[in-house]
Amino acid sequence: MSGLWPYVQNDKISNHVLLGGRKLEKIKQNPIVKKIGFNRIILAGVLVLMYILFGVMCSVMGRASFFNISRIYSALNYTYFLGFLALGVTFVIATGGIDFSIGPVMFCSALISGYALTKMEVPLGVCLLVSILVGTLFGLLNGYLVAYWDMPSFITSMASMMLAKGIGSVFTKTQSVSWPQATEANGWYRSLVKITSGGSIIPTGLIIFIIASIICAIVLNKTKAGRYILCLGSNKEAVRLSGVDVRKWEALAYVLCGMLAGIAAIFFVGAYSTVQPGLGDTYNNEAIASCVMGGTSMAGGVASIGGTFIGVLIISLLQEGILAMGFQKDFQYVITGIIVLVAVYIDNRSRKRKN
Amino acid sequence: MGEVILTMKGIDKSFPGVHALDHVDLEVRKGEVLALMGENGAGKSTLMKVLTGIYKKDSGSITFEGKEVEFDSPRAAQEAGIVIVHQELNMLNHLTVAQNIFIGREIMKGKIIDDARMNQESKKLFDRLNISIDPTEMMGNLTVGKQQMCEIAKAISHDAKVIVFDEPSAALTEAEIEELFKIIRDLRDKGLGIVYISHRMDEIKVITDRVTVMRDGTYVGTLITKECTKDDIINMMVGRVIYEDPKTESKVPEDAPVVLKVEHLNAGKMVQDVSFELRKGEILGFSGLMGAGRTETARALFGADAKESGDIYINGRKIEIKSPEDAVKNGIGYLSEDRKRYGIVVGKTVAENTTMASMKDFMKGIFINKKKEDEVAWEYVRSLKTKTPTVDTEVVNLSGGNQQKVVIAKWLTRNCDILIFDEPTRGIDVGAKSEIYTLMNELVAQGKSIIMISSEMTEILRMSDRIVVMCEGRKTGELDISEATQENIMHMATQRK
Amino acid sequence: MAGKEKKSNVLAANPLLAKIGGQRLVVLLVIIVLFAFFCIKSEAFRQYSTILSILDYSYYITFMAIGVTFALITGGNDLSIGTGMVCYALIGGYVVTKLGMPVGVGMLVTVICGLLMGVLNGVLVAILEIPPFIATLCTMMIARGLGPIAAESMSVTWPQAGTPQGWFRSLFKITIGDTKYPMGFLWIVLLVILMTIILNKTRIGRYIIAIGSNKEATRLSGVNVIKWHILAYVICGFFTGLAGIAYAATFQAVAPGTGAGLELDAICGAIIGGTSMKGGSGSIVGTLLGVFVMSMLKTGLPYIGQQANMQQIITGIVLIVAVFIDVIRSKKQK
Repeated sequence: MSGLWPYVQNDKISNHVLLGGRKLEKIKQNPIVKKIGFNRIILAGVLVLMYILFGVMCSVMGRASFFNISRIYSALNYTYFLGFLALGVTFVIATGGIDFSIGPVMFCSALISGYALTKMEVPLGVCLLVSILVGTLFGLLNGYLVAYWDMPSFITSMASMMLAKGIGSVFTKTQSVSWPQATEANGWYRSLVKITSGGSIIPTGLIIFIIASIICAIVLNKTKAGRYILCLGSNKEAVRLSGVDVRKWEALAYVLCGMLAGIAAIFFVGAYSTVQPGLGDTYNNEAIASCVMGGTSMAGGVASIGGTFIGVLIISLLQEGILAMGFQKDFQYVITGIIVLVAVYIDNRSRKRKN
Repeated sequence: MGEVILTMKGIDKSFPGVHALDHVDLEVRKGEVLALMGENGAGKSTLMKVLTGIYKKDSGSITFEGKEVEFDSPRAAQEAGIVIVHQELNMLNHLTVAQNIFIGREIMKGKIIDDARMNQESKKLFDRLNISIDPTEMMGNLTVGKQQMCEIAKAISHDAKVIVFDEPSAALTEAEIEELFKIIRDLRDKGLGIVYISHRMDEIKVITDRVTVMRDGTYVGTLITKECTKDDIINMMVGRVIYEDPKTESKVPEDAPVVLKVEHLNAGKMVQDVSFELRKGEILGFSGLMGAGRTETARALFGADAKESGDIYINGRKIEIKSPEDAVKNGIGYLSEDRKRYGIVVGKTVAENTTMASMKDFMKGIFINKKKEDEVAWEYVRSLKTKTPTVDTEVVNLSGGNQQKVVIAKWLTRNCDILIFDEPTRGIDVGAKSEIYTLMNELVAQGKSIIMISSEMTEILRMSDRIVVMCEGRKTGELDISEATQENIMHMATQRK
Repeated sequence: MAGKEKKSNVLAANPLLAKIGGQRLVVLLVIIVLFAFFCIKSEAFRQYSTILSILDYSYYITFMAIGVTFALITGGNDLSIGTGMVCYALIGGYVVTKLGMPVGVGMLVTVICGLLMGVLNGVLVAILEIPPFIATLCTMMIARGLGPIAAESMSVTWPQAGTPQGWFRSLFKITIGDTKYPMGFLWIVLLVILMTIILNKTRIGRYIIAIGSNKEATRLSGVNVIKWHILAYVICGFFTGLAGIAYAATFQAVAPGTGAGLELDAICGAIIGGTSMKGGSGSIVGTLLGVFVMSMLKTGLPYIGQQANMQQIITGIVLIVAVFIDVIRSKKQK
């Protein structure tokens, strides 16, 4: 029962405007549609429409064709790291909290592990683990402060955002770090993102991202952790009075989020090589936008990994499309902001109507 | 006693499923204190909300100072001269006393608020009432009693002609009540009409001139306070007729073991030195007025709120309960009076709520065993006769009675031996009510033990084997069902220190 | 309980102490101790220019902090101020440098941008009832994009001091003879006095405090809560606009894409100064002192051999400590 378009479900007027209420109801009752989720189908439709729209716009504006496989690979590069960030923050938003630190934490992970790799000659495998570890530690910090100290999550995570930026800069002495290219020594980590053999490219990153999404969906929907995270996001006190240690599970959501931000770091450098200290906060917003677009409610208790997955694809496509049309990236920030506002407003309204 | 200032005639008000007010009459005269009495849920507050424009009446008429009126907001009522002093205080703790009294109608000197004048005016107001409160004190620093006085001062500053006090003494100390009464008498002597809502019999005798009694949303009658006894009023409040047969004797065998023993439980003002025992197969009723500390006792016992001291024994073994987790581990389940906030997760399904407290038993490795979960949920849906299309239905779509059954199922799944039912039938319709009663009887027959907190006298008398009565955080009596009557419970429940 | 009363009695006994307030006194002490500490530790710190740079740093943060204090008092927040300030400075600077308008117009545009953003935030929070931190997060993103779009992704260099249009810089730092005088401090003092009066002595402040204390009770008292709630954010936006001018005057150039994180310095300053995240209480003087703690730390630490980029870590740690104290304080009041 989740989605960006809950007003389609709950608002009779928009039902009629869109398709005619009864017909729409019928479509929604279709078992296949029900299984996949009506909202996610619409979202996927938006994705396809956007792709076509960008293609048309590019040719109208006389720019290089958007329907080019290299565009897709380029968009996918963006998908991987953003995807891991969004998967992680989905868990946190499911608890009714928020994590503004993920982008900078990702950069901090990439900077520390990259510095260790390039300047301290630590083996690559260890560096990758360090990257995940750094993310997890930030997750622990956030989770501990929020769940055990009752601190508001948004301000806490903003504080750890500053910590992540600062620690990243201090560790690398304010230098940017360049991870090795695929052909160089220690470049094998790049095959996590894509493998180029002969003329063909295998997008391994996409495969890993899909697998990770499936695992996250299973954790969220099929395990005790996911169950408690969703329930406490919906009504923390009722879950506590059922004899559940809510603090532990709430903290766990932040730890998961941090860990996934650490993994995101690997995919960021796998695609873009270079990380600069002091940056990364714009990715928070894009990850959060992917979630709320996909039907995860900022009020907590409702989350959809499938929705987040499509949301990430839409944001990646958006950024690629904006670049392809020759606009600056800044348009993307504006659009992302508006997307979140609209999604949150719709979610608020539909919840109010429900009660 | 002067002329009639306010008449409410034939007031009728329905909410979906509830006929809250059934043609109720009320008459207030200048220079009198009229008590409005009735048990919880008798409709007193609803009537006052209709009067002050918070609710719109379905039919009937309100005549104020000879003119028929209908207020559409509390503010309109205020402007006409009818003010209500609420039970829950509407105070702005971060502002001073004077700033609170004049909020929304500050005295200005140009663009600047004239705090000095507001302080003076407040001081004058307090002097008129003979109370000493510093108008420059922060509202948050005052005791509840003093805050109440400020609320009254605010009411009077509106130039009120009728003031309604909604259970004003609920949170006051002895001395503060004395002070309150002095003020009320003063106001009465100045010719205002006062409506005084209270449960407390002794107060009614002391302060009021007439008593109007309501029961189940209907008007029962009006008495002159001087000419009637406490018992007359109690009889009118509870009614002679009892619709459900009360239990006449305890169904618990003489030799039933004590499963739960609570000794000297203390938790704040609302739980003071409470001790009791619960035996196997027993329904122990907790009776008392609103704010008697029954829910607080249950929450402290369950570990939901921190307790200061007290020992808890289960089956003779002393145990530590620091959190609900500990309580549940020891086989205690708690069904809250506020189901939506503390009982169920409304946005989740019947099955998810059923297994909430016992996830451990529904795991297959690291995964939730959805099949087993559904099976167990269905089992309880059938055995408790829960009306739900499927176990994957969100609980928000169920009626109150069925939501309650889901909460019961949650604790049965966990196999709790001791269940605390806090107002188990509040907000539940009549049919579902008797189903819940049957269920509770079945549970004790199976050897479970139940603590039942209830504000409904008939419910207490119908279900309990033994009754603990509380008043103001203390246990004021314990009765076997065979010796319990409405009257003696009521006496214990109003036994103030 | 008894201890607390005793303490407040001691405070009440001394009218001067009571006026300043307990927390503000502590913060003042912290500033003095910090200042003394840095002076002892570092010779370079003991210079007039250091004080100037502490003040330089504090102007724009103080403006933002005064504004965000109003948002915090309503029980809300405004995360858009840091990014917003840079956005308005970019737009205002663009008007001056690219469109050739006089610098006064540029300053006006900067403030108007802030006001508009304040209105938007207020409408989102008070009318559409979007949680303040989400609403202002979104407007922060929008500001993040709009600034560079307006300035065509270029740094904007407001007229330099000494040039005919550079007079606005002397609003904050004026050079007479060889000495530089921190004029900005004068404005800060005046504005702090003005806003203290507005907060404590006018309906605006009264209703904003009332909304933060108990919105429903305020509404039932017949106050138009939506109007005053929006106004709190408009005040916040207005001061962010002023901060934009101060920012432009302090730095040689305004770079697009910066500003994120500065809001935390401002929020941090307000919370240190005793404004509660729970709403209902706040003090402008406290906010000013809180900002000085931040700027003292940030300016001082490099002098004792810490890297400049420790600053972000300091913001983070101080923020956690300040919010933690606030959480404890609110719990105690309960």
